[in-house]
Amino acid sequence: MQSGKDNTMTVDATAPPDVSPVIQVRDVWKIFGDRSAEALEAIRKENLSKAEVLDRFEAVVGVREVSFDVHESEIFCIMGLSGSGKSTLVRHINRLIEPTHGEIKVGGVDVGGLNAKELRLLRADRIGMVFQNMALLPHRTVRDNIGFALELRNVDAFTRMQLSDKVIETVSLQGYGDRMPAELSGGMQQRVGLARALAADPEILLMDEPFSALDPLIRRGLQDEFLELSAVMGKTTLFITHDLDEAIRMGSRIAIMKDGVIVQIGTPEDIVTSPADDYVADFVQGISRLKLVFAHTVMQDPEQYSQQGHSLEGTETWPEASPEADLDSLISMAVNREQPVAIREDGKLVGVVTKDALLRGIQGE
Amino acid sequence: MSTSSESTTQETESLAEVAAAQKEAQASGAADREVNRAFATFAEQNEEYYSRTFLKIQQSKLPFLHFNKAALVGSFVWAALRGNWLLFWIGFATDMMAAANLGLVYRFSVAKAAAIEADKSFLIERFSNWTMLHLLAAVLLFVIGRLLIGWLADRFYYRQYSAWRINPKVNSGVSKSRWMVAALIVVLVAPLTLYRSTQEAPEARACIKVARAMQDGKPVDFKSRFDCLTISEVPTVVWLKRPPQFSFPRAEDGTRTMVVKESTAKRPVNLNVWLSEVIDQRIDYAKAFYGYIFDGITKWLRTLLNAIEAVFVGTPWLVTAGLFLLIAFHFAGPRVAIFTAATLIYLGIFGFWQTAMSTVSIVIASTIICVVVGLPLGVWVGKSRRGSAIVTPILDVMQTIPSFVYLLPAVAFFSIGKPPGILATVIFSMPPMVRLTALGIKQVPESTKEAALAFGASPRQLLTRVELPLATPSIMAGVNQVVMMSLSMAVIAAIIGAGGLGFIVVDALGQSQVGRGMLAGIAIALIAMVIDRIVQRANRSGS
Repeated sequence: MQSGKDNTMTVDATAPPDVSPVIQVRDVWKIFGDRSAEALEAIRKENLSKAEVLDRFEAVVGVREVSFDVHESEIFCIMGLSGSGKSTLVRHINRLIEPTHGEIKVGGVDVGGLNAKELRLLRADRIGMVFQNMALLPHRTVRDNIGFALELRNVDAFTRMQLSDKVIETVSLQGYGDRMPAELSGGMQQRVGLARALAADPEILLMDEPFSALDPLIRRGLQDEFLELSAVMGKTTLFITHDLDEAIRMGSRIAIMKDGVIVQIGTPEDIVTSPADDYVADFVQGISRLKLVFAHTVMQDPEQYSQQGHSLEGTETWPEASPEADLDSLISMAVNREQPVAIREDGKLVGVVTKDALLRGIQGE
Repeated sequence: MSTSSESTTQETESLAEVAAAQKEAQASGAADREVNRAFATFAEQNEEYYSRTFLKIQQSKLPFLHFNKAALVGSFVWAALRGNWLLFWIGFATDMMAAANLGLVYRFSVAKAAAIEADKSFLIERFSNWTMLHLLAAVLLFVIGRLLIGWLADRFYYRQYSAWRINPKVNSGVSKSRWMVAALIVVLVAPLTLYRSTQEAPEARACIKVARAMQDGKPVDFKSRFDCLTISEVPTVVWLKRPPQFSFPRAEDGTRTMVVKESTAKRPVNLNVWLSEVIDQRIDYAKAFYGYIFDGITKWLRTLLNAIEAVFVGTPWLVTAGLFLLIAFHFAGPRVAIFTAATLIYLGIFGFWQTAMSTVSIVIASTIICVVVGLPLGVWVGKSRRGSAIVTPILDVMQTIPSFVYLLPAVAFFSIGKPPGILATVIFSMPPMVRLTALGIKQVPESTKEAALAFGASPRQLLTRVELPLATPSIMAGVNQVVMMSLSMAVIAAIIGAGGLGFIVVDALGQSQVGRGMLAGIAIALIAMVIDRIVQRANRSGS
């Protein structure tokens, strides 16, 4: 799991900024109701609240002025509570829902400009989707469920079977190909859901709370497996969840949504160490920082350290770590030692982490 | 304080218990008083009696033979005073029925006196019998009615009290104005009803004579005028001139022409006669000028039926029977196959084979048409809001119309025979096909459809790969119902010449040959059971 995470992290970090993102969402609004256009205009002019819009236009604001990019091979998490518009938002990417206003580009192509046939091709070829309630077809075997997207593209039965069997192996469902979905447990059904999304080998995965309906142990297992898979396959993933722990585990970057608005976008560390507002801070409170906060955040400047009356003698004998080491590994080094941890980059001492700093780092002050 | 705490804990505990019990008793006493006050406010008069009774009801202590004496005596008057209109109507109705029976006693004693005068012994006996019976009925109705009201009174009144607790606008207490309303109802209803029970009502035809006499200005006595107005058929208000007569003779070149002839009848007719004639003319018109449409439909139905009959009637009975057994065994297992065999033997030994096969042919023909037409219609209803808005009310009406009535349009446009029989059968048994298909389509989870769309399904793929397969159990239930309803209608359609087993029943009825009719009836029932079993089992194993 750790390796998977590191992998996606590095991909994200090293992604050159000039490479155009796979998914581009620009100023997207979704207002439900018969008078949505009117409502949109009024909101933009008068900056109405959700309740006011409902009152005046009998319209519900689902998504409000949302913009973000998802880069190649990135797992981009959208986290929000129920009713925050995250599921609505993700359905805009493959245009299951039409935006009231705004532009969505997938691979540089404006999704809103596609005709029905092109849209079907986009959905069948380039975007795979996994649903919270699995939404498998109960009258088809696992294999036929997995081959469903291929079947819709009129791929012949033999190729379909070959491809499906390959994906069945990928999600470790060997031997279950001829079972009916109802015979499988929830976790296995969601593997089928994942396999179905992967079968057509799409570039993009849309995952709408895929693991939310599962019990915690199975959820964790599937999360790990998905991270491993993702590290290997490098699919650009838009991952919806209402669980911040999950978002932090899975996400290269996280967008936090509230009432249809994206409150903050950032890496897990950004979110945890510098929450944009009280709402996010509230969420972040209970999150373990051990694997999210790194040495460069908690370390002290060596000079400052010496000015406080400490000696920098014999730093060679101190335990050493890089600025990217997380709190967890720093703690392992610091226990049973008198000395603080020396943080070195290219052999040069760049910082000192004392036990006090470690404790404060865990606490998040 | 400290000493008391040192005393045995048991004692303090028991003391505390006693105190608590006392407090509770006080509280419950207070609650009792509170409830009693509510009882009293509700009852207004005689509040002590009602408080006591309601308390007993609440404690489930009301004896089974508890009667409210005021209600026993006052019946609907009591109910009206207390504002319980349901009891008012029950009490008033039973008393009215008793009174009407007394009226009949009077009427038959008058008739008996007339019979004695005319010296007709059998009439004397009949009328004295009837007089006795109605006298007995009057007494029984009165006594039972009163007892019923007396028994129900407090129980219903308590319910009224419960409703009043929730909604204070519910009638409570005693009110003169309600008594006035009740008196008005009695005055409006009772005299005329009692008058009707003492009189022989004039026949409708007699009243038409009276009406004509009055139109002609002849003198008519007051009693017959009054009787015709009040206790006979509802008087005819609308009188219309007879509509002109249409006829559609063929011209020399074979085309139809229309000839209109003013009616020569002097007398006006009532609305019923007028509209019946107009409808007949419109149908004649349609048949004369658009006959080719009906002929075409008849031809197609005939062809379909002939093809099916060729299989069932035209094949040697051994082959057909073997085929049925095979189907039953394959789809429904050995037990149903044995039952099927018994049915086939029954049909064979009583000589019903060909007739039964002809009925089965009609059922199959109509089932095929129902599925071919009903399935797409059902899909449309299930998927489109407008389709549902258009078709659902039509289906509602179709299902409330009695099956006999469907024979009318079939006969009107297609005359008699097997094709109109199939048509009537189709119309009768179509609704469940449409409804259950629509239900099946609607029941497909939104999320499943969304998933299919997300993987790039076209509307057509969505229908054929997702919606129809998921709706199959419901659709098959629809087919089962269609088959059963077709069978029942195919029997009724024998009245318009559809033949088959139904014809034997209709014919036997006409000639009072109960035995023959019964045997054919049993054959129909057996066929119905066999079909039902096979289709149901096939469904269950299929899904």
